[in-house]
Amino acid sequence: MDHRLPIKYVILASCLTLSACGGSGEFSGDLVGGQRTVEVTARKFEYDPSIITVKEGETVVIKLASEDVTHGFYLDGYGEQTTIPPGDIKLVGFTANKTGRFTFRCSETCGHFHPYMIGHLRVLPNRKYYAGVSLVVLLGLGSLAYGSKRREKHRTHLFGVIPLDWRFELTKYKPIRALFKSRWFPLVFILLNFFVFVVILVAGFAGGFSAGNVNFGVMVVWILWWVLLMTIFVPVVGRFWCMTCPFPLIGDWLQRGTLGSGGRQKSWGLNKKWPKRFRNLWPVTACFLLSTLFVGFFTVQPFATFVLLALIVIGAIVISLIYEKRTFCLYLCPVSGFQGLYSNFAACEVRVKNPDICKTHTPKTCYLGDEHGYGCPWMELPFDMNRNTYCGLCLECFKTCPHDNMAFNVRPFGTDLLAERKRTDELQNRRGLDEAFKSLTMIGILFAFFLTMQGPYGWLKDMVMAASLGGYGLFLGGYLLLNLGLVPVLFLAVSYLSKQASGNREVPLKKVFVDFSYCLVPLGVARWAAFSLGILLPNGSYLPRVFSDPFSRGWDLFGTAGYQWTPFLTGALPYLQLSLLFVGLAFSLEYGYKFANRIFATEREATRGWIPMLLFIIALGVFFVWLFEG
Amino acid sequence: MPRQTAVTASLVTLIAMAAVLTTIGCSTSGKQPATVELLARAPERGNWSPQTLEVEQGEEVTLVIRNVDAVTHGFYLPGLDLTVGEIKAGDVREIKFTPQVAGEYGFYCSVWCSDFHMHMRGKLVVK
Repeated sequence: MDHRLPIKYVILASCLTLSACGGSGEFSGDLVGGQRTVEVTARKFEYDPSIITVKEGETVVIKLASEDVTHGFYLDGYGEQTTIPPGDIKLVGFTANKTGRFTFRCSETCGHFHPYMIGHLRVLPNRKYYAGVSLVVLLGLGSLAYGSKRREKHRTHLFGVIPLDWRFELTKYKPIRALFKSRWFPLVFILLNFFVFVVILVAGFAGGFSAGNVNFGVMVVWILWWVLLMTIFVPVVGRFWCMTCPFPLIGDWLQRGTLGSGGRQKSWGLNKKWPKRFRNLWPVTACFLLSTLFVGFFTVQPFATFVLLALIVIGAIVISLIYEKRTFCLYLCPVSGFQGLYSNFAACEVRVKNPDICKTHTPKTCYLGDEHGYGCPWMELPFDMNRNTYCGLCLECFKTCPHDNMAFNVRPFGTDLLAERKRTDELQNRRGLDEAFKSLTMIGILFAFFLTMQGPYGWLKDMVMAASLGGYGLFLGGYLLLNLGLVPVLFLAVSYLSKQASGNREVPLKKVFVDFSYCLVPLGVARWAAFSLGILLPNGSYLPRVFSDPFSRGWDLFGTAGYQWTPFLTGALPYLQLSLLFVGLAFSLEYGYKFANRIFATEREATRGWIPMLLFIIALGVFFVWLFEG
Repeated sequence: MPRQTAVTASLVTLIAMAAVLTTIGCSTSGKQPATVELLARAPERGNWSPQTLEVEQGEEVTLVIRNVDAVTHGFYLPGLDLTVGEIKAGDVREIKFTPQVAGEYGFYCSVWCSDFHMHMRGKLVVK
């Protein structure tokens, strides 16, 4: 395969250019008397050609053949489906009466990467794409016009409507507060998840090298858990997963010598302190980036999922014996970084109700612990907390506060992004380059994930799953260069332009870079949610089967073992994804302009300094619209 | 140890044990003496396993074929006219039969499953 790579790059480059220019390029196949016939060969794990371009209204006939094993063909939006055994030729015919980009995907388990064997049908003119791009540009330029008009109210209100300090306290209801103060909450959920993850580990180990899409471990972790995390948990509740995560359970137990009851820590471990200079998101950013290098293995192979989870379980236990409290969760868990950063966008928070009560309350039981609960395992200072990044929602502070002064609030999305630095930030709650860098790496990671799992390029899939060592090396090189080099350098350049445009020479470039990086967060949350929907809707129907037969033993626990693969709402997927992008973009623009006013001294400087960043965000928005629908 | 701790501790242990035991238990128990398990994998990933099955003449046998591979396989034993057709990845199929004549019978994969599909064969020995 390797010798063909350069040609493929040229093809990819020209495809990119074509679609970037609006994609009026070559149509596929032969047009005879209004009927377009396209010959497509399926092989592991691509269609050739993988991008079919036709014109609206044409009668399209796709002639399918398989080169290796039995493949399938399912066309989103049109609902056409067939299976292609090797040696057969199957015809799929339809009238291209819907425009846009439609994904066709394999419907017969054909190997590990089967769920991500994908091609694109582009029915031109791609109006959805044009509409998306226009809307992004309009939103961006409109926000600028609107921004220059609004005055006082926009400083204190979100979109000039919702007060930024609006809070609705859920714990003012007695049953909820009682629940939060109970030692059994959230322990019950942790125990439930503990059971689920034991099943996942066993299924992953027993599944070995079988197909991931019929394996309980792979499906529940990467299709269900990941998608819930990215579409609901993180965007709405914050670190909700950390609240119910079973991995630190054994570590907690070892550290506390007890599970159910409260009390001060009397650790069985060494209880060491994590080094000060790593008390930030740098280590988790590195851990996440490192794990994503193996994305081509653990998202599709049961045994690789087992290895990854086993490493995390063992890591959590070992670290809990060396370092204090939840050091593993804070500084080493691979999924802690984006959860921490993106929780700042979440619509929920744990905060102090009345700071005056805390000022006179000594000793600080929320930090030290008492007979009702433990001192903050996440090493936060609950009485002084103003951001979600390092709050694991473990609810210990509700149990330890004798004044019932902790509150669980619903709030407008993203208000933590505006949180000011505070005195203790140098110690643990850093708001700085580490979070900026985390935010930036999430762009390149999404790009690579999207192309691998929802893109039509078989050669890229070959590289990511290491079909050849050279290809894998090329992927690693390109991927790291993109994430560690290209994206941060590009953002640095935009920050520099922003500083120049503002005319303010006093403000440090680092401040511009860091503060503006937070306006990428809402768009980040939105694009990850959009990406995750594109994983769940087509593949979610493998779940009923694995629930009934988690270990592929031929069981039928819930009578759903025979459930066939049925893509769900994939025709609506483009609209859902675009809507999410627009919402994220609107928040990014809104907060970005607020940041500009904080970074620069005067409103005039802020507006001028905001323009390069605004253009960058518009470009980023257009880029994602292209990636999702172009 | 406080009572609550004891309760939680036993709960955690029980849950873990239950999950592991159910798995192991269900995969090994309920196995009749005359049940033969056959794993289906493409030749480059392990082939039929075991490749030689031994059964007794005149005794009813349940053959459990598990596709633990990532592609579709099939099972065809022409000598006794046994076939189950397609077995998709992750699926399990059972056939019951009573071999009457001693001897060796070849069986094959009946679905094109890899470049080495033609090597995916095994034999059934009836004693």
